[in-house]
Amino acid sequence: MAIFILKRVGLALITLWILSVIVFFVGQVLPGDPGRAILGPLAAPSAVHALDQTLGTNRPVLTQYWSWISHFVRGDMGKSYSYQTAVAPLVIKALGNSLKLAAVAFVIVVPLGIFGGVWAALAAGKPRDRIISVVGLSSTVIPELVSGIVLILVFGIALNVLPISATAPPGASIPTQLDHLILPAIPLVLILFGYIEQMARAGTIEALNSDYARTAVLKGLPRRTLIRRHILRNSLLPTITVVATQVGYLIGGLVVVETLFRYQGIGSLIVTAANGKDFPMLEAGILVIGVAYMVATLVADILYSLLNPRIRYQAAE
Amino acid sequence: MARDTRKLDGIRDRRSELENHYIDELVAGRISRRDFVRKGAVIGMSSSLMGVILAACGNANSSSSSSSAATTASTPKHGGTLRLAQQAPAAAVNPLTVADSGGLNMLAQTGEFLILDNNQLLTLQPMLATSWKASASGAVWTFTLRPGVKFHNGQTMTAKDVVYTFKQLSDPKVASNALSTFTGVLTPSGVVEVDSMTVAFHLEAPNGNFPYLVSSDNYNAIIVPDGTDFAKWQSTFIGTGPFTLKSYTQNVGASFLANPNYWGGKPYLDGTAFTFYTSQPPQILALQGGQVDGIVQFTAQGAQSLLGSSNYNIIKLKSANHRELSMRNDQAPFTDARVRQAVAYALNRPEMISALLGGDGELGNDSPFGPRFPSSNTSVPQRAQNLALAKQLLKAAGHANGFSAPLVTEQYQEIPALAQVIKADLAKVGITANLKIESQTDYYGKATYGNSDWLDSTMSLVDYGDRGVPNVYLEAPLTSNGPWNAARFKNKTYDSLVKQYVAAVDLSTQRTIAGKIETLLLAQTPIVIPYFIDGLTATTPSVHGVNPTSISAIYLNKAYMS
Repeated sequence: MAIFILKRVGLALITLWILSVIVFFVGQVLPGDPGRAILGPLAAPSAVHALDQTLGTNRPVLTQYWSWISHFVRGDMGKSYSYQTAVAPLVIKALGNSLKLAAVAFVIVVPLGIFGGVWAALAAGKPRDRIISVVGLSSTVIPELVSGIVLILVFGIALNVLPISATAPPGASIPTQLDHLILPAIPLVLILFGYIEQMARAGTIEALNSDYARTAVLKGLPRRTLIRRHILRNSLLPTITVVATQVGYLIGGLVVVETLFRYQGIGSLIVTAANGKDFPMLEAGILVIGVAYMVATLVADILYSLLNPRIRYQAAE
Repeated sequence: MARDTRKLDGIRDRRSELENHYIDELVAGRISRRDFVRKGAVIGMSSSLMGVILAACGNANSSSSSSSAATTASTPKHGGTLRLAQQAPAAAVNPLTVADSGGLNMLAQTGEFLILDNNQLLTLQPMLATSWKASASGAVWTFTLRPGVKFHNGQTMTAKDVVYTFKQLSDPKVASNALSTFTGVLTPSGVVEVDSMTVAFHLEAPNGNFPYLVSSDNYNAIIVPDGTDFAKWQSTFIGTGPFTLKSYTQNVGASFLANPNYWGGKPYLDGTAFTFYTSQPPQILALQGGQVDGIVQFTAQGAQSLLGSSNYNIIKLKSANHRELSMRNDQAPFTDARVRQAVAYALNRPEMISALLGGDGELGNDSPFGPRFPSSNTSVPQRAQNLALAKQLLKAAGHANGFSAPLVTEQYQEIPALAQVIKADLAKVGITANLKIESQTDYYGKATYGNSDWLDSTMSLVDYGDRGVPNVYLEAPLTSNGPWNAARFKNKTYDSLVKQYVAAVDLSTQRTIAGKIETLLLAQTPIVIPYFIDGLTATTPSVHGVNPTSISAIYLNKAYMS
């Protein structure tokens, strides 16, 4: 197991390094430069030149990359071009915010999705299954922008029961913070519910049709015990993979929700950085998402292997 | 009512040539009392002096001052924190480099300018300068500073601070956004300390509207203490203004506390809190949901729920903010002025204003002289849609069957919708516009000829933000050597008229030249300016005395909540 994890961590580091190179060089291809992005399209060329000089963004590309990565590996994320402050506190704060929102959405959607999927599978082909599947799939295709605005209008303005900004006032207690995160979490729940429900449903149906399930039924195992001990465990395997692959989205892909609910998460941080050609912030933001994604898939693999002993043998070889 | 000639003569003896010129104009009825106040303010006449002159001239053609939200009748209440929504500053709040609406409003919260361009009254008001005057030619402007003004760090403001500020802003070796205003106008060596309370600006060329360039219109020009490190300014926000910094968090918000030592008296509010947003819809929702008391500036598109409701106070300001459709004068078929005129005649401008701006705009007449500028010459007839004439012009130019041409524009506010309307209008006279709508970064490119879709496209539709004087609009996009001449318009008569306009110090001369420029631009039509967009600010009815400007700064020293 330790070797398996070490191998994965090593691979992850190489992937992250390649990611940093891609982000940097793709960033160079984009039009405009940081000085121009800060001063605007109408600024005097001499002012843009002076600013690029101060920021060091008119140095050769490789020099810039080297100066960035040599600081980064020593734990220094550098200074944001746009905001002229250290990147680390901005990224850490944004990551914290993203994790909080993702956690709230996760806590709601994972049990709900698995329960819905299993419940639908147990009535496969019947109206209950149809309703759950259609609702799940339909909610998946509602853009966050639409569901978000509807939620704000209904719960935030018409009924006025929930705050419409995801950002709680500074120093707010945890219940207050949760209160602020409920509304923004719902669009995410709507999007993810369909995926998770479908995977859980498919896994359950497959498990129900398996030989071991039939054997268990024939040997007279009560239905409840059968589901808990044999079906659930097997139906969850593909679901875990789906959940893990959604972590990247939940942490870094929530730009629309973050904008709509005014939440400073890592997604909007990256968009701001990309627009401003703020390279240190862009790199830090993307690498943070990369790390989160890799940690999530690693955790998923470990969970997977705990649920499925066959994987463990393969990894040890 | 009788004119008090003796009193007037007594005043005239002590006035400069230029001031007497305006008094003549007023007495002769060539300028209205309102224009007299506006132009008098530009050349530095005090409001009390102008009051005496106006009184001496009688009330014959008195015009009532505009009603505005700034002058509400109820007694101000003290206390409370005003919460406003605004666009998030796009970059560091550095007085030298700020170039966006979110950042400039942050500067205006704690910083102050020599002069305030009060957009509600359309007049200049003394801020850190108490008076100013021009040399006879308009090439040297001298400002007298307000005594006893203290920075938030306790230091007293003197000429040294003003000189330092403007030397930095006008230095071509410094990353100063104000260079787009000062290039060709002011260099660091032209900023001179006369004495501890007087600063003189020796300009590169005479400039009749120079006070606007050191006013709040030039939003970078807040006065900071001598020797300030601009890059670190955002950790202190030190200025002379009515509020001091409490906290500032990138992308989240900022809060300010009333400055008890403010020269203009402590503000009514205990403090202010600004919440940053990156788009407009959440700001509107936040106002409707009661999470903020107002929105600093918004556009009509997507704000119907505010504009159509009586639950909010909407402050509307005439602005020079406009859209400009340029046609390459050096590329067929736009080499022919008749083709360019046909494009202008094809457009239904009133419909654009009602459909795209919810009616909150003013007609444009294909020149930068809009209703915001006192020097605009309104005797030049307004161009209106005339499809028959447009077709006739096209036929005369040899394009009876029309033609097709690319039209490139940017993803910004209502512009994509405007491009669609233009395309539909042009189709009515047989012109096919092939739209290409790009992100702002792609569209502006490097913003130099040959490296920018904005400047190089056959037809290009761009936004121009609000300015206090039309000088930049007249020069950069239209003069032969202008850096943003997307139309490649080259006309010697025009160039010399602009030079005369910029140098002219008195209003009637400016207006005469403006008339010539407007007529020339109508005949040549290198560009189309379909409309000017009003600035909009919304608050709840309990908010009073806020003073927004059309460049989206908001002044809150007289604001209070009931």
